[in-house]
Amino acid sequence: MSMAEGLFDSASFIEALARELGTEWRSIASARKTANEKIRALSKLLEGETSPDASVVVHGSLARLEFTNESDLDWTLLVDGRANPQHQTDLLRIRAKLSAAGFGEPGQERTFGSLSFSHQIIHMIGGEEDSNANTTRRILLLLEASAVGDYRMAFEAVRKNVLDRYLREDHGLGRRVGNDDPRWIPLFLLNDIARYWRTMAVDFAYKQHSRGSDGYALRSLKLGISRKLIYSSGLVSCFWCDPALSGQDPSERFRYQKTIAALSEMISITPLERMAKFYLTHSKSSSMQEAARLFFGAYDQFLQLLDIPEKRRILKTLTVDATYDDRCFLEAREIRQRFKDAIRQTFLQEGSPLYKRIIEFGVF
Amino acid sequence: MGSLGFSTGALAKGDFKLALQQMAGKSLSAVELSALRVEELPQLMESASSLDLGCYRYVSVHSPSSFSADEEGRIVELLHSCPKNWKIVVHPDAIKDASKWVDFGKQLVIENMDRRKADGRTADELARWFARLPEALLCVDLAHAQQLDTTMTEAYLILTRFQDRVCQIHISELDSASHHYPLSQGTMTAFSEVAGLIPKDAAVIIESRVTADNLESEVAKAKGVFEVLPA
Repeated sequence: MSMAEGLFDSASFIEALARELGTEWRSIASARKTANEKIRALSKLLEGETSPDASVVVHGSLARLEFTNESDLDWTLLVDGRANPQHQTDLLRIRAKLSAAGFGEPGQERTFGSLSFSHQIIHMIGGEEDSNANTTRRILLLLEASAVGDYRMAFEAVRKNVLDRYLREDHGLGRRVGNDDPRWIPLFLLNDIARYWRTMAVDFAYKQHSRGSDGYALRSLKLGISRKLIYSSGLVSCFWCDPALSGQDPSERFRYQKTIAALSEMISITPLERMAKFYLTHSKSSSMQEAARLFFGAYDQFLQLLDIPEKRRILKTLTVDATYDDRCFLEAREIRQRFKDAIRQTFLQEGSPLYKRIIEFGVF
Repeated sequence: MGSLGFSTGALAKGDFKLALQQMAGKSLSAVELSALRVEELPQLMESASSLDLGCYRYVSVHSPSSFSADEEGRIVELLHSCPKNWKIVVHPDAIKDASKWVDFGKQLVIENMDRRKADGRTADELARWFARLPEALLCVDLAHAQQLDTTMTEAYLILTRFQDRVCQIHISELDSASHHYPLSQGTMTAFSEVAGLIPKDAAVIIESRVTADNLESEVAKAKGVFEVLPA
């Protein structure tokens, strides 16, 4: 048994992929172990703090099960039920409890550490009222989220309802028109995921503008690696709805429920697990094997680097001017380049099972 | 669509005889005798053999929804006095010791639970109950499934996975506090999306709280759910 083996759940697609490729990714395994311990501790800490109508939802590295040294905690109290002033009291109590237990304050943008409501998340997709915070909460709820504590029902119900909106309002989905085969890739959802990726990229520049060079190097690496992972796994989840890729039943009956079930299964696992699931399905292809090796290898090195306090401190405090001469950043930049190559091979290499789909649906 | 009728508890809470009077002559072919509270069961079982239920092709008894471990043995004993052709509907989260219920075999009907409950809500949770009670059948409460998952995906998963066990359906409107009401148009549309997965011979039991005056209009709405199946 390898050292990394046993650190994953028995059903882990990452572990299965590592076995298939005859390798191991120790930093991924170690970050996952730490994250699972943190989630258990958090769940214990929050026992009895919420009602069945609300879930404490965590995002970020904890939800991705990639908790490293100095990872922070992004969370919201998601309410899906009757309006009740008690929810604010619950929020304040939870916030105080997390703070007392040593979990730092969520990010400066105030998107997290607050109440969020199902109605806003479900009803306000697009249009004037879909704020940056609302888009962020909605897409991360799908692609990078996990519920901790006693109750998951609000979390799961809101996720499914958001998917329901994306699918039912995509009128061409799963519908045979003339002699054309039905389109199963959910375009409304895919476009919103793509929009969120572009929003993150634009907000990177906004943060640079508003915060100066503070944290520039680390944010730049995160954008090119962990944020890009979220986007890639979102694209793969959308493409997974295509029966030709996933083997899902291609009949048009019950198309919404069937597609929600398939997407729910995909988003119930972490972004890395989603990618591993895709690679495993296509592990007979040598080019996909190579892409998988590059993808997970680079990601493993990224987590290894983030877990070294000194390197993390350097990346967090580098000025913009010093960044491109700094050895630590250049090492990290090389990792980011390999990750970018892996994504290119996965999506944009002719012969990849995703190639035609990304050209047809992912570009225009 | 199979037999159709009411839960007596929906028509007259705690008074199954009054509910049966209200149902008489309404061309209904199914009835669920409700004993949702422990104290209702002895009286119902005493009357079981003398009730005139000849007009109903399908009869079930809804066993108490909550009881203590001490009460469980007595409840099981009372339920064993049911005629063998009556089904016994039970909430899985009420069961304390599954081994006490195994002997009912196919007479026992597990019902999927609403969002407030901690167990028996999803297809995966029901699968664990069927592992403990392998012969048990299934009552799909569409309102419970919808309250848990308004997209009806969980209802789809339950019906797909356990189609061969489904012998009864519960149908009603349910609010977020789990109170039953007459069916709304939106709920009828949601239910109709999965109606095609319900076995043709499954009995449909209406749980909407209605007065005797509104009984027939609720029956018409329940039939409507099964009339127009989506493509």
